Amino acid sequence: MRKFLIKTILFTLPVLFMTIAMELLLRNIPNDYEQKKAYLDKHAAEIETLVLGSSHSYYGINPAFFTSNTFNVSHVSQTFKYDYAILKKYQPKFKSLRTIVLPLSYFTLYGNIEEGAESWRVKNYNLYYGLNVSGKLKDNLEVLGNTFKVNKKRLTNYYFAHESAITATELGWCMKREIKKTNDLVETGKAAELRHTAKEADTALVNYNIAILKSISAWCAEQNIKLVLITMPAYKTYSERLNIDQLNLTINTAQQVANENGNGIYLNFLNDPRFVEADFYDADHLSDIGAEKFSKILNDEINK
Amino acid sequence: MLFHSIDFAIFVPVVFVLYWFVTNKSLKAQNWLIVVASYVFYGWWDYRFLSLIFFTTLLDYIVGIGLSKAEKPIHRKLLLATSMTINLGMLGFYKYFNFFIDNFITAFTFLGMPIQANTLDIILPVGISFYTFQTLSYVIDVYRRQLEPTKNLAAFIAFVTFFPQLVAGPIERATNLLPQFYKHRTFDYGKAVDGMRQILWGLFKKIVIADNCADFANKIFGNYDDLNGSTLVFGAIFFTFQIYCDFSGYSDIAIGTARLFGFDLMRNFSFPYFSRDIAEFWRRWHISLSTWFRDYVYIPLGGSKGGTWMKVRNTFIIFLLSGFWHGANWTFIAWGALNAMYFLPLLLTQNNRANLDIVAQGKNVPSFREFSSMLVTFGLTVFAWIFFRADNMGHAMGYISGIFSASLFKLPNFTTVGLVATTNMFLVLFVLLEWFGRQDEYAIEKLGLKWKRPFRHAFYYALIAAIVWFGGKEQEFIYFQF
Repeated sequence: MRKFLIKTILFTLPVLFMTIAMELLLRNIPNDYEQKKAYLDKHAAEIETLVLGSSHSYYGINPAFFTSNTFNVSHVSQTFKYDYAILKKYQPKFKSLRTIVLPLSYFTLYGNIEEGAESWRVKNYNLYYGLNVSGKLKDNLEVLGNTFKVNKKRLTNYYFAHESAITATELGWCMKREIKKTNDLVETGKAAELRHTAKEADTALVNYNIAILKSISAWCAEQNIKLVLITMPAYKTYSERLNIDQLNLTINTAQQVANENGNGIYLNFLNDPRFVEADFYDADHLSDIGAEKFSKILNDEINK
Repeated sequence: MLFHSIDFAIFVPVVFVLYWFVTNKSLKAQNWLIVVASYVFYGWWDYRFLSLIFFTTLLDYIVGIGLSKAEKPIHRKLLLATSMTINLGMLGFYKYFNFFIDNFITAFTFLGMPIQANTLDIILPVGISFYTFQTLSYVIDVYRRQLEPTKNLAAFIAFVTFFPQLVAGPIERATNLLPQFYKHRTFDYGKAVDGMRQILWGLFKKIVIADNCADFANKIFGNYDDLNGSTLVFGAIFFTFQIYCDFSGYSDIAIGTARLFGFDLMRNFSFPYFSRDIAEFWRRWHISLSTWFRDYVYIPLGGSKGGTWMKVRNTFIIFLLSGFWHGANWTFIAWGALNAMYFLPLLLTQNNRANLDIVAQGKNVPSFREFSSMLVTFGLTVFAWIFFRADNMGHAMGYISGIFSASLFKLPNFTTVGLVATTNMFLVLFVLLEWFGRQDEYAIEKLGLKWKRPFRHAFYYALIAAIVWFGGKEQEFIYFQF
């Protein structure tokens, strides 16, 4: 028995050593989540407008064009659950916070980052924000969060090619997009609609997301913060394809929550004619030009 | 808890240490530890069905004791019928209820008498087909007086829920596994090392071969309308290797894990793709299920002893049941029927036991005749797997029509040529390792045992590197759904 254990441990030692080394090296790579947390730790008390949400706001709302002290804490696939967890964590530090911008996109109520292709992002909220949102081992280790191939690429890019993994500006807006094979608005419109339309009505998930949205709204009311719910602009190749029931549920929920506590407004920019082809990076995300245009419009709306 | 998850990688060493260091002095304590570990293992997947498995266990434990006391045949039959009705009733409800409702609606509508009926939102408890058959084998063996009923509750619960084989087999016989829970187990170094080797091989089969093949098979079966015939042939071949490596990989990990705890589970696969005819294939594929049907259905029906009609009837019954066991879908029934049709000519010409030995035993290369027979059998198997993989009969027929079209002679259209080449390279390597290890329990059982340690370890590290480096997108084990 002793012989077996010693031999097994000795045999697995090189694998364990490599795994630990990889974990440490991966954690050492500066990333957006760490950067956003560092900004919040240092500047939370000065923030007047806070932008939450997923890639729609991450790509589309640039705090540089706001007249108030604005920070964008959104990230790709970030759901209400994570928005709310960040709010609660920094609640004591938000001394100047007056406005929260929270996008409610076509897919938001059906969103669940824990399932599907983006589930690897959950670890970032545990490891870098310290939010303790998941007890799963894979959500607490870099090496298990992604495949070996992805991790190897990240290590090579950072340590050998000296490429930065940071995609956000200091104020949290995405300055560096992934280069896609195609940004064709027709193709991306079709693909995004397919990806975002719920295959089956998951009532429990929708109710769960609505409950968190209501909690955020109540939290804002308690703190005397204005809640600005928005639906971001999208190109017609996307917006015209959307399932009407899913879209109506999103819009109705946003309107209802905005009116609930007397502290909210809902602005629907989905089919806003001011946004033209050049304003889009793909069918449901704004380009840099579109982000500038939208940020200025939103700033004006907030200041009205 | 999946075998290839980090959860399992932590779970097994913890149970192993408790088993051999804390409870090793008491057989009873070891058995209860297995029970607790098995319930944790099962509950990890879905704790809601723990009560169901406990009910099945308790029922058959009580029926077993009842059978030991009942002397009158009528009482014994009643006890057997109770167990079978409840066990098969639960299996039928969870697995087949919606299938029957759907088909009744279709049938009545077809006859011009549309009926209204609702299907239920039923979740299939993982492993129900496996543990139901395992407990049934116990009750039937006790009924036949081939096995003494047990009064040892811990041993019986451990037998039903033994975690390495709980959710996807091998479907153990009480005559093999149950007595192992009665005996004091001592740690066997050779057995444990062999177990580790088999686990490593199982992981390689599952993660490198099955998961990579799955990626292609899923894409090809999902878009068969847009692909040419030759690509569809590749899709069917990828699925053929996917299902084999997925299921036999699972079995290897199960058997290897059991060996770490001092248990010997029955063999479930014996290099089936080197079979020279379909009868041989069925002696080598999912052995624990095939022999279950043979012993508890085929032989009681008369087996191959009666006249031609009886042989045909029994063969069809056995293959259709086998197909239906896999799932509530006509595709599985079609798969079973097709295999019955492959098998029948061999049975009727009394050639079904022509190939009982290992192909090209003691030789490195098969003869032309052996090679041709293997190729034809493999081709028939690939064709049958199309039904097994298809979502419905329309899908299967569409896929087959796609193959037998003019585009069959065009070059396959793969968008990721590099990945296909890597997967094919691993497939070739895998087939070679299987071929040269076909006389052993599993392909690498004896490979490298006589090599110097650095070379042997280098080979194992190469397998680990392949698992880490070339592992496909994580997929659940196919047989979990059955």
